[in-house]
Amino acid sequence: MVRLDPDPFLNELTKLYEQHRDKGTVWVTLKRVHLDWKRKRKATVESEDETVDYRCLVRATDGKKNISAMLSAKDHQRFQMAYATVLKAHMDALKKREKKDKKEKKAAAAIAATATVVKQ
Amino acid sequence: MVYIESWDEFTKRSVDLFQAEPLKTRYVMKYRHCDGKLVLKVTDDRVCLKYKTDQLQDAKKMEKLNNIFFTMMARGPKGKS
Repeated sequence: MVRLDPDPFLNELTKLYEQHRDKGTVWVTLKRVHLDWKRKRKATVESEDETVDYRCLVRATDGKKNISAMLSAKDHQRFQMAYATVLKAHMDALKKREKKDKKEKKAAAAIAATATVVKQ
Repeated sequence: MVYIESWDEFTKRSVDLFQAEPLKTRYVMKYRHCDGKLVLKVTDDRVCLKYKTDQLQDAKKMEKLNNIFFTMMARGPKGKS
């Protein structure tokens, strides 16, 4: 696991998405953690201790390579905007909005297909 | 675990789950470009909530959920700093 600063993390995440455009999957995980490693997880579940420093841990993997970053309360706002930009740039394989339900979708697709054939 | 069909139900239940177990709950986003599929998962290792989509409009909704989770995770489950 490579721990990076938020900005290099976003660069590496961009690379991961680019590497897996043709095949493969990219996972991104968000988790809340505290920085007191010695303390057991269970001990903190009931009530959050105000004195302990909490962070948002962001991890990304393609199944082989792992990268991660820690976000403090100060970092997260800037990071989440930059992260949204990275996602928007790479999630372009998703389908555009279709209001019709599935049956109508199929019918519309068939009509569109015949329309293109007619045009040709 | 079955996928939750309704986005609103998914967001509500996942936020509730996180607020119940802030340090155990993780939020995973899985994206597969070649198939154009996006899967969101929120789990505390007991309850698992999943949402699957191939629609671009859901990616926009997800951005809002991402922001909610970033804020809750970095600042505290109630949104305080």
